[in-house]
Amino acid sequence: MDTRLRRFSTNGMTKFLAFAIVVLALAAVVVQIQYAEYINGNVESLIVDNYIDSEEFYYGQVQNSLFRVSRAIEEGEELEGTSDCIYFAADKEKTFGNTIWSEREYYEQYDQTFYYLEDGEWQAGKNTNPLTYNPGIDDTEAMAYVAFTDEYMAEKQVEWEANRAVLKPLALRIAASVSLALLLIAYLIWATGRKPDDRELHMAKIDSVYSDVLLALFLPAIGAWVVSIGEFAFLRNRLFDGLGMNEVFSMALAGGATVVAVTVCGVLLLSLVRKLKAGKLLKHSLIFVAFAASYDFFKSLFDGRRFKGNTHTQSLFKRQWAFIVASAAMVFLTFVFLFSGVVPLMALPPILEILIIYWFIKGNNKTFVEINKGFDDSLGERMKAERMKIALVTNVSHDLKTPLTSMVSYVDLLSKEDDLPDSARDYVQILSEKTNRLKNIVSDLFDLAKSTSGDISMEMEKIDIKKLIEQTIGDMSDEIEKSGLKMKTKLPENQVMIFSDGKKLYRVFQNIIDNALKYSLEGSRVFVELEEADGFAVATVKNTASYEIDYTADEMLQRFSRGDKSRSTEGSGLGLSIAESFTKVCGGNMKVIVDGDLFKVSVSFQMDE
Amino acid sequence: MDKAGILVVDDDREIAGAIEKLLESEGFQVQKAYDGKEALEALVSGGIQLILMDVMMPRLDGLSATLKIRESRNIPIIILSAKSEDSDKILGLSMGADDYVTKPFNPDELVARVKSQLRRYMLLGDMGNGSKANQIAIGGLLLDLDAKQLTVDGEPVHLTAKEFQILEFLMKHAGMVFSAEKIYERVWKEKPYSVENTVMVHIRRIREKIEINPKEPNYLKVVWGIGYKIEKI
Repeated sequence: MDTRLRRFSTNGMTKFLAFAIVVLALAAVVVQIQYAEYINGNVESLIVDNYIDSEEFYYGQVQNSLFRVSRAIEEGEELEGTSDCIYFAADKEKTFGNTIWSEREYYEQYDQTFYYLEDGEWQAGKNTNPLTYNPGIDDTEAMAYVAFTDEYMAEKQVEWEANRAVLKPLALRIAASVSLALLLIAYLIWATGRKPDDRELHMAKIDSVYSDVLLALFLPAIGAWVVSIGEFAFLRNRLFDGLGMNEVFSMALAGGATVVAVTVCGVLLLSLVRKLKAGKLLKHSLIFVAFAASYDFFKSLFDGRRFKGNTHTQSLFKRQWAFIVASAAMVFLTFVFLFSGVVPLMALPPILEILIIYWFIKGNNKTFVEINKGFDDSLGERMKAERMKIALVTNVSHDLKTPLTSMVSYVDLLSKEDDLPDSARDYVQILSEKTNRLKNIVSDLFDLAKSTSGDISMEMEKIDIKKLIEQTIGDMSDEIEKSGLKMKTKLPENQVMIFSDGKKLYRVFQNIIDNALKYSLEGSRVFVELEEADGFAVATVKNTASYEIDYTADEMLQRFSRGDKSRSTEGSGLGLSIAESFTKVCGGNMKVIVDGDLFKVSVSFQMDE
Repeated sequence: MDKAGILVVDDDREIAGAIEKLLESEGFQVQKAYDGKEALEALVSGGIQLILMDVMMPRLDGLSATLKIRESRNIPIIILSAKSEDSDKILGLSMGADDYVTKPFNPDELVARVKSQLRRYMLLGDMGNGSKANQIAIGGLLLDLDAKQLTVDGEPVHLTAKEFQILEFLMKHAGMVFSAEKIYERVWKEKPYSVENTVMVHIRRIREKIEINPKEPNYLKVVWGIGYKIEKI
């Protein structure tokens, strides 16, 4: 039952009908009031039973008559115009009256409507309603009697009751129309936005208009109605009371205008009601939205949202500018208010400034947190990637070495077979060479991966780099001799102490010199020098390339890049990469310089003194 | 020394097989085990004079097996591992292994190391641990100061006079590091001037004579940037 009632009450048709009834009822009210006006109906007759007690009689007849009589005595002549009373008035010189009677008893017989002038003051008769206003005169000698005849009062009373008979149903109808309209308006306020199918609040198209615009639209609607009612209501024939062509026409126009006005106002009102129900009456207003937008715009200048597309540092820089400019503007405004004498307004800029400082600091903090987070994240990512790399390298290294061990072993066994044909022996020889090279590459790759990932155990101590270079050259003397190159050394007399890992540094120089031996022009010289410069020990190995160097120093250091692109010679091609990586973990710095055919590798370490 | 029994322990059957062939061709008797547990079992039956032990194996790994064996036996153990870090080697040797060979190994070097360990094991059995007066023994090195004679694992090795003097000096102070200048002063009895290369070349020569793999010496080591020493074994 409840749901059925709800279904009916939220039905669109029901609502439309209710709305139409409200419109018609209100139009009817207007028209009926107009009609009452046209028939000169006095509303007082509905409340006051007897004409004699009415204000119509008191103000319209009594007061008027007493005033006229008073004036007549003072002016010495009767006033023009009419009055429905009978009276007699006299002073020392003259008498007035509109009856033949001058005796008080005559007038006093109408004891409910008898008034007399005594000592310059008007008095009401014994049974007469008292006076509220006394238009008395200065002449205390003057006397007067005023009364309304019973016949007159009876006639008026009949008229009074006839008027009431006409007005009473009219008033009831108006009251009924108004109550119906109010009831339905209450219903519509409840029902608007609801639909039978769900419990959601449904907005209409007009609800997208801002609240304050809707509110403002009431003004022209009501204004136009008032103006048109004013126009139409006076289209009447004043010569007689009642309805003529003019009056009916004017009533139709007024009714029409009311229909239009009520429809427009009703639509506006219901829209506002829906917005109120949705809780966005204030939020969805032009003033609020405009204020919020400008507030947000200014805020975004300082808290960084305005500069979202920029990098963090750019954003901070721009915000700083916005902050400085705004702060300067606030100071300027304060002085403007001070000198223009609008002293109370001086409080405004400091308050705004506090707001700006708050936004600025909060936004900055947020950015700093973001920068830190980004930094930590990337650091964490890198650490993770490196750890994964190490794990991968360790696993891959083991997985490569195990089959390689079998290969090396079986190739060796094969080479020891006695009854191999010569061709097979050649093949085995090649296999042997290649497996050995593979062995070197895997070993070098492993070393490189470990050192670049930083996962390498170091034994740092104070060592003499000069001695280390000499030892390395001594260690490699066989290879140097075999290469046919001349090794020229230029080393300082004294020891050059640095803090490093000797074993790894030996690998560094071994690889650099090895590289020089492999790729030098036949019969040329290789220069090995050590210098002390600005607290740094700089070791340099220079050689003349046996080929045209057609790539840059950087490419030279790239893993696997090789002096000869054909890659036919033995070696892993990782020598210089390992040297550079090891130099780094040993705390030094390695540079490769290519100048024509001159190839120069320099390794520098801070001296330890 | 011939027909010495060798236990090869490796979970990779091909590698174990290859080592078996290699050692058999050198006249050894080879037994195989595929993990640490099998190795311990094989050892019980006896007839084994040396063990080649892989590290990463199922059930019982090589290092644990080595530790277990060392509880009761001092039979030579050579660890064979794909792990090539210095720290791995130090760990292996500290577990009681006598030598450490990284995979992939050079077959000839492996054979040489096996022979070296076996000889040393046998010799120790012959002469006990005592060296005579005027003899210095370090690992497989035995320097006879009277005869001016060096033997490595029992094999005589010919050294020049300077080489002998250098070795004598270093072996007398085993474990200590000496600079080239110091060595030169003591051996050449001259004021050292730019002698690094001279000493280094001698050191290298000696290494070639006493080390199985001169690139990875067991005895005579270069302390890069500082000097030279004989490892105290």
